[in-house]
Amino acid sequence: MVYTTRQIGAKNSLDYKVFIEKDGKPVSPFHDIPLYADESKQILNFVVEIPRWTNAKLEISKEQDLNPIIQDTKKGKLRFVRNVFPHHGYIWNYGAFPQTWEDPNVAHPETKANGDNDPLDVLEIGEAVGYTGQVKQVKVLGVFALLDEGETDWKVVVIDVNDPLAPKLNDIEDVERHLPGLLRATNEWFRVYKIPDGKPENQFAFSGEAKNKKYAEEVIRETHEAWENLINGKSDKGDISLATINSNVEVPNGENKQDDPIDKSIDKWFFISGASA
Amino acid sequence: MARDRLSLTASHLSKSYFSTVEIGSKYSSTYKNYLILPNGGIGSYFHDIPINLNLPNKTCNVVIEIPRWSNAKFEINKDLQYNPITQDLKNNKPRFVKNLYPFKGYPQNYGAIPQTWDDPTIVETNTGYKGDNDPIDIVEIGSRIAQTGEVIECKILGSLALIDDGELDWKVIAIDINDELVNNSKNNLNDIQDVETVCPGLLSNIKLWFQNYKKPDGKSENQFGFNGEYLNVDKTLEIIQHGHQSWKNLINDQLKNQNDKFPLIINTTQVGTKGFVTQLNKNDIIQGNIHEKDSEIPKDIEKSYYF
Repeated sequence: MVYTTRQIGAKNSLDYKVFIEKDGKPVSPFHDIPLYADESKQILNFVVEIPRWTNAKLEISKEQDLNPIIQDTKKGKLRFVRNVFPHHGYIWNYGAFPQTWEDPNVAHPETKANGDNDPLDVLEIGEAVGYTGQVKQVKVLGVFALLDEGETDWKVVVIDVNDPLAPKLNDIEDVERHLPGLLRATNEWFRVYKIPDGKPENQFAFSGEAKNKKYAEEVIRETHEAWENLINGKSDKGDISLATINSNVEVPNGENKQDDPIDKSIDKWFFISGASA
Repeated sequence: MARDRLSLTASHLSKSYFSTVEIGSKYSSTYKNYLILPNGGIGSYFHDIPINLNLPNKTCNVVIEIPRWSNAKFEINKDLQYNPITQDLKNNKPRFVKNLYPFKGYPQNYGAIPQTWDDPTIVETNTGYKGDNDPIDIVEIGSRIAQTGEVIECKILGSLALIDDGELDWKVIAIDINDELVNNSKNNLNDIQDVETVCPGLLSNIKLWFQNYKKPDGKSENQFGFNGEYLNVDKTLEIIQHGHQSWKNLINDQLKNQNDKFPLIINTTQVGTKGFVTQLNKNDIIQGNIHEKDSEIPKDIEKSYYF
């Protein structure tokens, strides 16, 4: 199963779109790519939206047909996350699981907060920097429950099955053993990342502790079911496009455009009291 | 000439009008980045940029070797004529520093103060260590990512006495005088203790980085002089003046024990010194050498190391 990408427009521009294609044919990373690459071995597919150490807030568009990855905008301007010292951009490869959905109409029994209406977010902690639109095969290690502006926003921690460390990482406690400081940095990153934009610190459920693999698998199962209800019409789809490979959506030819420059102000580091390495 | 892929980048934002010329392929052993003086001739990053040490204002010139968040170990080459910036080699391969979690590459712009030298024959009395035979290193903590070869006038804030492989290796903390952190009237960034107020956590993290940055290569932790404490700006100005005097002794050929490991003193501005040569035109250096495409950075440089 080999996925490739088709780029339209220049990176760091409003025109930028990355479609994912299989055998040269565009597919939806939300609906067409299977959640499991190999269910018997518990290997999942993961779509990279934001490569580690970059700032552009790229995400799967729920509304556009075939759900290309585009850059989020705010008041018509491209959105970039700010660098909060000592971090540079996103500190993992960040993305989503295909065929999952955090239903905004359902409150989670433990976090008591409704879903954020997005595919389930994923943090891939392997050593290789990914690329936007890359489909990686990963194993699940645990999950954080971020409460981002009042919505439950699960962040599943995974590692690329091809990473040299993957055989040693089987559950959340192995992460602290082999990558000491990573979970604490992750917790801190999510708490403070919107502070430079004038927003308050984010909160976590479960005192900010990451839940283990078993708990994460349950979250994945629930959000996969929510997605099934979405495509079966059992849930209100709102603005979400349910188009798939079979919908005959016209996608423009790929372009090999040079990246647009990123404004220099994005290089700035923000220092927040209480944040630490 | 039309095919000459010479790249001349004006050192922007700066009153200085130094520029650079690059030949070879970046991230390979062929790469050389030469200083172009305001009159268009070639100069040495080590000897031909005036230090411009201003004691009342506590400022001086610095040369950036390594931009923040990058890994390639670029440095002023002591052994090549005109001291271009080249990438340090280790076992004949270009050297990259490892990512020390949570940092990516160098945590700040990194470089050196021109016309200074840590004399390897003199024992610094407080630490008991000799100099490392290099220009004095600087850590520029400004908001902007600087470029290799850029000359920036900086405000000096303090320093750290790193003991690296048994040598004293000063790290001066400085900031671009035009940086927004300096110009923000709410900030009072004048001395080392002000850095903690304006940039909380920065100093302890810089120290942690220098302490550990060679550990991924199997070396032991680095030590610090002065109990690991940062020195204030006034002490640091003395260190810089001392380093400038050592450089004068070097360039004026006034060192008793000559040593073939000493830096080359060939220069194009220090009239009357032993190493003074008539200025070459940049075309003489470039002749037959083109600026090639960057070489690929090895994929394993993406890895982070945890402690």
